Amino acid sequence: MLNFLKMLLTPEFFFSIIRISAPILFATLAAIVVEKAGFCNIGLEGLMMFSALAGSLVSYYAGSWVWGLLAAVVMGVLMSLLMGFFAFQLKTDITLVGIAVNMMGSGGTLFLCQVITNLTEGKAMASTTGLITKTLCIPDVAIPLINKIPFLGGILSGHNLLTYFAFLCCLLTSIMLYKTSLGLNIRAVGENPNAASSVGVSVLKIKYIAIGFSGLMCGFGGAFMSMSYAQGWSQDMVSGRGFIALAAQAMGNGECLGGMLSSLVFGFAQALGIKFSAIGLDSNLASPIPYAVTIIGLVIFAVVRRNREKKRHSAAGLEKIAATAK
Amino acid sequence: MTKRRQIVFSLVRGLIAIAIALLVAMLLIFISASGDSFAEKLKATGEALRQMLLGPLFRMGKNGTSFEFKRLTDILATMIPIIFTGLAVCIMFSANQFNLGAEGGVMLGAFTTAMIAIYVPMAAFIHPLVAVIGGGVAVAIMMLLPALLKTKLNVSEMVCSLMLNYIIMYLIKFLMNAYLADKTKGQIQSYEFLETSKIAPLIDNGSKLSWGFAVAIVVVVLCGLFMYRTRWGYAIRMIGINQEFSRYSGMKVASVIVLSQVIGGFLAGIGGGIEMLGRYSTFSWKSLPGYGWTGITIAILAGRNPCYVPLAAFFMAYLAKGCELMATYANVPSQLIDIIQGVIFLFFAAEQFLSRYRQKLVVKSAQEELARKNAAESQEGGAVHA
Amino acid sequence: MPDEKTVQPGEQYVVQMKAITKVYPNGVAANQGVDFNLRKGEIHALMGENGAGKSTLMKMLFGLEQPTSGEIIVNGEKLNLTSPSVAISNGIGMVHQHFMLVPSLSVAENMVLGMVPKKGLFIDQAKAIEITRENAEKYNLHVEPEAKVMDIPVGMKQKVEILKALVRGAKILILDEPTAVLTTQETTELFKELLHLKEQGYTIVFISHKLNEIMQITDRLTIMRNGRSMGVYNTKDVTKEEISRLMVGRDVVLTVQKDKAQPSDTVLRVRDLEYVNEWNKKMLDKISFDVRKGEILGIAGVEGNGQKELVDMLFNFNTPNAGTATVNGENILGLPQQKIRSLGVSLVPEDRMLYGIASSASIEENVISDRCAEKRFNVGPLFKMSAIHAESDRLIQDYTVLCKSRKQAVGMLSGGNIQKVVVAREFSNDPVLILADQPTRGIDVGATEFIRKKLVDLSRSGVAVLLISADLNEVMELSDSLIVMHNGHIAAYFEDTSALSDEVMGEYMLGLKQQTEEEVRRVCHD
Repeated sequence: MLNFLKMLLTPEFFFSIIRISAPILFATLAAIVVEKAGFCNIGLEGLMMFSALAGSLVSYYAGSWVWGLLAAVVMGVLMSLLMGFFAFQLKTDITLVGIAVNMMGSGGTLFLCQVITNLTEGKAMASTTGLITKTLCIPDVAIPLINKIPFLGGILSGHNLLTYFAFLCCLLTSIMLYKTSLGLNIRAVGENPNAASSVGVSVLKIKYIAIGFSGLMCGFGGAFMSMSYAQGWSQDMVSGRGFIALAAQAMGNGECLGGMLSSLVFGFAQALGIKFSAIGLDSNLASPIPYAVTIIGLVIFAVVRRNREKKRHSAAGLEKIAATAK
Repeated sequence: MTKRRQIVFSLVRGLIAIAIALLVAMLLIFISASGDSFAEKLKATGEALRQMLLGPLFRMGKNGTSFEFKRLTDILATMIPIIFTGLAVCIMFSANQFNLGAEGGVMLGAFTTAMIAIYVPMAAFIHPLVAVIGGGVAVAIMMLLPALLKTKLNVSEMVCSLMLNYIIMYLIKFLMNAYLADKTKGQIQSYEFLETSKIAPLIDNGSKLSWGFAVAIVVVVLCGLFMYRTRWGYAIRMIGINQEFSRYSGMKVASVIVLSQVIGGFLAGIGGGIEMLGRYSTFSWKSLPGYGWTGITIAILAGRNPCYVPLAAFFMAYLAKGCELMATYANVPSQLIDIIQGVIFLFFAAEQFLSRYRQKLVVKSAQEELARKNAAESQEGGAVHA
Repeated sequence: MPDEKTVQPGEQYVVQMKAITKVYPNGVAANQGVDFNLRKGEIHALMGENGAGKSTLMKMLFGLEQPTSGEIIVNGEKLNLTSPSVAISNGIGMVHQHFMLVPSLSVAENMVLGMVPKKGLFIDQAKAIEITRENAEKYNLHVEPEAKVMDIPVGMKQKVEILKALVRGAKILILDEPTAVLTTQETTELFKELLHLKEQGYTIVFISHKLNEIMQITDRLTIMRNGRSMGVYNTKDVTKEEISRLMVGRDVVLTVQKDKAQPSDTVLRVRDLEYVNEWNKKMLDKISFDVRKGEILGIAGVEGNGQKELVDMLFNFNTPNAGTATVNGENILGLPQQKIRSLGVSLVPEDRMLYGIASSASIEENVISDRCAEKRFNVGPLFKMSAIHAESDRLIQDYTVLCKSRKQAVGMLSGGNIQKVVVAREFSNDPVLILADQPTRGIDVGATEFIRKKLVDLSRSGVAVLLISADLNEVMELSDSLIVMHNGHIAAYFEDTSALSDEVMGEYMLGLKQQTEEEVRRVCHD
């Protein structure tokens, strides 16, 4: 037991928490912004799958991760705008649009992968892991000075570019939501669309921007999955991170900081699972830990919320009694 | 709008959605088709499409196309598990509960049934019955979790059920690896099911079309009866339409929401169980089978009405077989089906899709009715004059 | 009707609405040939009962609705007001009864929404606060720019709304029942501020039916009734009693034949019911009354005086802070709706689309919703379809629901027929008590007459009926005895409605008079 704790208290362990949290954080930010705009995008999983595929393929063809990253992001945004078209214009239930995108993201991406590799490589491949080399991945960055600090340096330095970017995005998203007029409009549309439209804010436009933003974040998340977390794309590689992000959004109370902390909790759960399997626990017992933590997290959050509401209700009740006494 | 016109509209709408999906498919096939020139590619596309659209039922050889019975039974056999998941999703979605746990439910049901089939000896006839029902009950209990969390704590049943899918898959894999696998085999699979537990084939032509198909059809009828001919199914549908109305009318809303998901779980569970005992002789699934997702598409295509589920399931099974054949003979990956499925799904669920056409029909109906009324009135007037 | 009483020769109006008629797609004529004028710098009251057409008229001035015929002239220019933004750009602002504010945003942010001052990429918060503060000072409307809207009191929210309109350049302000949500102190403050605005040359339309307030601050008033203007008056030239008579009079009298009630045992007994809402406003104040077998007890009153809350308590959509309510001696407060119904209580809900029906379900499915579990409709686990078909056909026939068949979706029917479906269900399950909440609102004359007649028949056959209606005509015609609710308490009880006059009713409804406690207490037949 003590040994195990010792194993946990290493820079590598904390490093892995941060690394694992990054793609969840991207998706969580996507979930947060659409939620602020008043709806829920459950298609994050599928969006990430498409972006991951696009990223790895373009990176391979262009011979540069920059183009790959760009392609992943463009893919995410385009797909999400298409979702918006179905949901806002053709009035498809947004939940069903999300389910459809997830379905396509699971098998459809494999189809595209095989078709495209067949065209260009002469044989159909079921994954792009064979195509992506280390140099085609998004590079890791050692931060000078910080990497010299003992322990802390090992945790904070040497991460992937996108990992740093994920945490930067968390800050940027928070700023966007609370310091810019776009964020103001998004929050207004989500809370009281009538109020927004009564002062000339276009509700439809803002909703498109919000869902497009979620596509953007999923683009980064997908790129991270296929061009850093793993070398190359393979089927169902996002494995539920898009859904975990929905839970992280709820647990973080819809705020960026809370969402980040929740993402780290999930990162921790998964890193712990990996450590467990390293000391001999069956990986099939370790792998479901993050999913179980998600359910437990949601339950805890719901209980806390309910108690808070109860307290408020009874406080209001007391006031009522006081008012009655007057 | 008259009833006939409404049916015509639904049909036209459905056909156009399918046509759009096939168009998208054609485009993708064309891109993936082998051939150097445009004409060659076109020809290859045509060949692939022919395989996809006709292949599931017809043999296409040198001496023309001919209907083959075996292929039909293959499709019917494929329909068995997805009829069950389709029914499960129909019932859960009817109560406006987006529970996506049918996927994990099928696997848990299959696993539980398999275990009973292997380790609990019983008399023939009773054995499959008990095993399958055991599978259904296990999943029904599992679905209590998202259902109760939703009604007691308002936790999203969707996220919860999705997470459960993963947990179930890993736990079953763990149990198989650690305890239950037949170590004498090269791959991870269970011991053989006891002979008493097997579900007999309906037609013995190697198609795996078991008596499970008959059970599926019976269950379709039962579900149809349940949803449209019992007070509980009625309550489920009313809650799905208007929860406030149901509460005001005195229905026990929370209990009915739980009930819908428990029944959905039970159906998914027996679907997995029947598939296991009818098709396989050992349990060897290593990942989620995908029947749950297909079930969602089927439920949407069937408009959440159990009676249309076999039709939608036949369509999906046909399409799956077509895509499979296309992969074999025309070198187009079979996962094309996921894209076709997604596109059809999106257009079927799109409320505003063809809404202008619908509006025209409504106006036309209203005008006709008015004209008829006027005609009747003038006739009456005429009668008085005479 | 030309306003010959107030006109001055050669006068220029800032707003002239001429011969405005508005017919909604469902055929309801909300305004019929209404003339409405605004003088620059006046406070003008627009008065009338619920449904008199005053809100519709103002919605057209603010561009939310377009008139079917008639013209609108603002500052001498004929305008086609197609949307609120056109109205805003022509200097017209409106403060809605339900605030158009975003609760989690600050006052300043709400103020500048849609026209945000920027510093580079960011919102210039300081500037937004400055704009807010400046305007608050200029117009003497005190608000806290940095507070979140959800944390500030209702009175301040209203000021934010007024400021929002002013900041966007409004010279003409429409206030839709601004005092309905305010406390007395807040109202006093608002009036001071409105007078201040008037001095600065702003024109204000004040929609209200509170007589005291109108007498206090308005210069002129226009009275509406049943979609028509009943005339324009200088406020100082009319008395409250005159206004009350013009507002509350009855035009069309649909008479319903009814014998004298023979009330017997008490069915519904309500004692000292109290409810304080989430904004700490006392909505129900020691409400006590009895409804007896075989009588119709009416509750009259202008809407928003506690009637809705009372029904919510009785059918457990909400829980009261104190008090009791029993049906035939058994408590009903806090019971699940199923139990309440099993005691024989039926409810015709005020919001029929939200509670009354499942609109995409068939007529048949809608009429059996409360009785689907009864033995007569089930054989073992299955529905007895023949019995259900028979029941729905019978109800469709008995209640003359105009439809193609029992399979037609309820949502496709007209308003009157939808209400007949609701009523068919609620009246036909052998109720001992019927709560009828605005049972004929917004439906055609035929259906109205039918439903009223049914209510009378049921009461004569021994059912206790509690009729809540803002329609004076209805409540006075149908009720055997009635109570008037004002401001959350019972203002009056009349044992016999036959000798009641509209004038007397109006005075109690508008709070000019109040009976003594003993007089009110007579409604409890202990």
